[in-house]
Order: sequence, then structure tokens, then C-alpha cells
Amino acid sequence: MAFGADRPAFGAVALATFAFALFFLLPFAGLVYRAAQNGDVWRLLSGNVVRDALVLSLWTSTLSTLLAITFGTAAAYLLARSSFPGKSLVDAIIDLPIVLPPTVAGVALLTAFGRRGLIGQPIDDWFGFTFGFSTLAVIMAQLLVASPFYVRAAKGGFESIDPQMTRVAYTLGASRTRTFFQVVLPQTWPALLAGIVLCWSRAMGELGATLIFAGNLQGRTQTMPLAIIQAFEGTSLGLDGAIALSLVLLAVALAVLVLFRVFTRHAITMG
Amino acid sequence: MTLEFAAHKQLGPFAYEAEFAAGDEIVVLFGHSGAGKSITLAMIAGLMRPDEGRIVIDGRVVFDSTAGTNLSPQLRNTGYVVQDLALFPHMTVAENIAFGMARAAEPRERVRQLLEMFRLEGFEERRPKTLSGGQQQRVALARALAREAKVLLLDEPFSALDESLRAGLRRELLRLKERLGITIVFVTHDLREAHLLADRVAVFDNGRLLQFGTRDTIFRRPCTRRVAELTGVTNILPATVREGAGEYALVDSAGMALRCAVPPGMTFHTGRAVDLAIRAERVILRRSVPSGPAPSNFVEGRIVSEDAYGSTHVLRFQTDSASHETIEVEIAARPYEVLGVANEKRWTLELPPEDIHMMTADGEAPTPV
Repeated sequence: MAFGADRPAFGAVALATFAFALFFLLPFAGLVYRAAQNGDVWRLLSGNVVRDALVLSLWTSTLSTLLAITFGTAAAYLLARSSFPGKSLVDAIIDLPIVLPPTVAGVALLTAFGRRGLIGQPIDDWFGFTFGFSTLAVIMAQLLVASPFYVRAAKGGFESIDPQMTRVAYTLGASRTRTFFQVVLPQTWPALLAGIVLCWSRAMGELGATLIFAGNLQGRTQTMPLAIIQAFEGTSLGLDGAIALSLVLLAVALAVLVLFRVFTRHAITMG
Repeated sequence: MTLEFAAHKQLGPFAYEAEFAAGDEIVVLFGHSGAGKSITLAMIAGLMRPDEGRIVIDGRVVFDSTAGTNLSPQLRNTGYVVQDLALFPHMTVAENIAFGMARAAEPRERVRQLLEMFRLEGFEERRPKTLSGGQQQRVALARALAREAKVLLLDEPFSALDESLRAGLRRELLRLKERLGITIVFVTHDLREAHLLADRVAVFDNGRLLQFGTRDTIFRRPCTRRVAELTGVTNILPATVREGAGEYALVDSAGMALRCAVPPGMTFHTGRAVDLAIRAERVILRRSVPSGPAPSNFVEGRIVSEDAYGSTHVLRFQTDSASHETIEVEIAARPYEVLGVANEKRWTLELPPEDIHMMTADGEAPTPV
């Protein structure tokens, strides 16, 4: 049999895969195990801090994802479909937050929109408005850090559409708008959905930029990851609180993943 | 319906230039890839803007650089079919066909007509990917015609298909031409396809339209050496006119004195440099020079190489003339066998005067009388 000679190699690969999978699984198992052992976790879950953080996280991430879709779809389409001077520069700038540590993004936001920032200072002087320590700052941090994931995925989706298809649609009398919604979008939505999931998850997990630019105020800027940090440092709920919060995020992540799988499978069977 | 086309466009170092007009017929745009054929279609469809020019489809000016007219592709009523078809994969066959139809029209009835016309009944609910290559091709044609296209633009639509399928689709296209009565502009780089389909041929090279004319004019009377080369003439000999007046001219070519027919209404001055184009399939093999008065050209030669293509053989002769000119001869498989060409290397070649086409070497038209 052809496989015979490969058997030892195959065993090694299987073993490595199993060890790797175990490495992924164990931390989550630990989390669930600790939560199950400790009755306090369940009490904390229904507390104010967890509820406030979860609600804030959910709506800010959703809003920043919607903003990413609104602006990012247009940008991605433009980047995928047209060429203009400085296109590769724009492309690189949009990619930058993916590569950059989020803390750097936070500092950068502060230098631009902070009270002493490039734009922040004139706005503060003229309108008496500051971005820092507001929920708006949370959304800005999430948008900066998470939207590139959406733009990247959407751009890839748009690039996979044969440009001849839109040209033919134009000759068939379809406007650019109709072509986008009836020809391009129906073929790219699995890619867009993947981008949305990536972007939303990244926004949910956003910590560094938010912490620096928006601060850590319960109910206003304290999202789930920030609440976990605070709990872990022992200034609020303690380690049990951190476990409770982590458990909630884990559940949310699993739900999103399962939903995504169901949707894309549906998309694939639709052909 | 008619199509008038004139356009100029500078594309980097590449200058595009073409002008032609056509009626209810198939115009084949012929040339190598990158010669400017597809650009022509894009300009007619409104997908590419010429720098200067004028395009009129069915009496309606769709582009005119001096008047500043430039209708968008949506308003030009062209049926555009591209090489990879670009069928919408997420729509059914019927939805694909109905995509371009006006909402006010009776789409269902028209779709039914088109399905019938292209023998696609029963496939209306199928997705394009589940159809065969030939069926997909017909869906693309039906979709292009669905909104009463005034001109059908076909960009190498059959080139991705098997030869057997292509033959059927070509015949279908010829039937379609009769039925529709519209201008069809067909891009191809396949010489046989061009010959089969064309009423008129536009020969493109390097962004320029070199010659436009009826099929017979292009294939039998190319205007320049380059057109002759592109349209598959393999024997092109430089020559000098010795005697140009009258129905037949006498020319000197590499030590051979050749008699060739002068196109009606033309005259070539003595001493003028010309190129002679002789299609390989027009050269006749003879065992010897026939006796009696022969107003033809004969030259002795020896086969130096040959290629067998199945239905035909291509023989390359070296002539006995002073410069040992090479002449290519194409001969059908049966005469090849009957004559016993395989066992005999020396032949007399007859170059009939009517089949020697004279072209001015500089590309300028000879003086009309």
C-alpha cells in the first residue's frame, strides 16, 4: 500500500496535531473548571460590573462594526476595483493597525484626538468637547483597530469577482448601483460576512487602545476586556470576577463562530 | 442596422487608430492578441472612451468627440459577450437572460422566446455552472440579445471551447445573423474562424486597423505585406515591375520573370518596387512544364522540408532560380498521395498569374488609372 512507507511520518503529524489541539483546549477547560468549582463566579455574573461591561461591549462593538461596514465597504470596493495615484499608500495605511500593537494605536489616537492632540486641542478650545474618557472614544479605538480586518476581507471578496461581469452588467443597462447590489454583492457576501465576524470579534476584544485613549470607567468606557484587567488587578471583582467575565466572552465567541459556520455553509450550498 | 466607427486613442506608447462602417453583417476583427481588437469592442460598448472619434449605432450617435457626446454603456443597447462569458453565477438561466430587460417589457414571454431560439428550454431554473460549455455560450448570447441589442459584440466567445463545439456554434451564429438582421462584430485570432464567419474583415496590428474590406478582398488582395503575413500568406516575394501597363504585369523577382494579374483599374509604373503575395494553396504542382503556349509562370524546385497536417501537407520548395527562393505549397492529402509526392522531390511549380497578388512595397495604393 502506498501509505505504508508514510506511516511513521503520519503518526508524527497526528501526534503534533493532537498536542497542539490540547494546548488550545486546556486553557478553556481550566476556565470552565474553575467556574464550576467556585460558586462565587455565578453570583458575580449577575452583578452590575459584568452586566455594564457586557452591554457596553456589545453595543460599541456592533456600532463600530456597522461604521466599518458603511465606510469600509466603499473603501474596499474602490481599492479592489480602481487604480488611482497613491492607491498602494492608502492600502498600506489601512493595513497598518493590523500590524501595529493596539497600545500604539491608543497612543496615536491620544496624540490626534486627545485634549492636547492635533485635532483634539482646537476642538476642545472652540467647542469645549473632549473625546477622551467617553464612550465615543471607545468606538473610535475599536474602529481604528478592528475595521482594517473588515476592509481586508471585503477587498479580497471584491477582487475575486471577474471585472468583466460588471462591464457586461453595464452594457445590459444596469447602473453602477444596481450592478453592485445585484451582481457584486450576492457573490461577495460570504467574504463580507467573514470580515464582519473578524471585525466585530476584534472590536469585542479591543483592550490596549481603549485603555490608553478612553480610560477604564465602569458603564462608560469599561468594556469586557477592560473589566477583566481591572478584576485581575484586584481593584474590583478579583480573580473570580475575571473568570466570570472571561466565561461570558467565551460563550459569546462560541455563539458567533457557530452562527458564522451555519451561515457560510448555507451560502455554499446555495451555490 | 448600421455601425459607423472611427476612433483614435493614445494608450501609453501604444496608439490606437481605426475607422470602418458596416451594415447587417458579420465584421470580424482579426489580429494577434493585443492588436486592438478588444479595445474596439470596448469603445463601441462605451466601456472605453476614445480620445477622438465618432461612433454611430443604428443612426444614433453614441460618441462624438467634437460634439462632446458620450453615451454611457447602459444607454448604448449593445449586446456584449466576453470570452469567459461572465454569466452571473448566483442567478438562474432565466434570471441571467432577463437581467437586461426593461421592467416595462413583457420579460416572461421574451425569455421564453429566447430560450426557444437558443434551444435552452427546460434549463431556465438551472444555474449557469451546471450547464455544458456550449449551453453556457448560448445563455450568454441570449442574455446579450434580450434587450433588443442594436449591435452584437462578441469577444472571442468560442475560443475556450472544444473544436467540435466551436464548429456547431459558428454555424448557429451564421443562422442567427440571418434571423436577427443586426451588425455583429466578432473578435478572433483564428484564421479559419475569421474566414468562415466574416462578411467583412478588419485586420488589426499593433493598435492600428491596417485594412478593412470584404472577406475576399482581405484574403485575396491584402493591401500590404503585413496584412498578407497576418492573413496567412506564406509566400511573399519582393519584386520590381518591368512592364506594368495592361491587364497583366511583368515583374522580376529573385531571378524569375513572373506574369501577374493587375487588379482592375490599377497600373504599376515600371521600376516600382512591389511585394508579391501567393497563397500556398494556390500553387500548382506539375511533373513538367506543360507543352503549348502557356500564359502562366513555371519554376522548377526541390522539396527541402514538409509537414503533414492530416487533411493537408505543406511542402517547402527551394527553387532553381538564381536566388534559390523558398516557396511554400499546400496540397490536400488525396492529391498528395495520388501524385506520389512522398517519393518524388523534384517538381515544376505553377504560379497562376491570377493568383499572384501585387502589393506596393511601401504600402501606398498603386496609381488608379
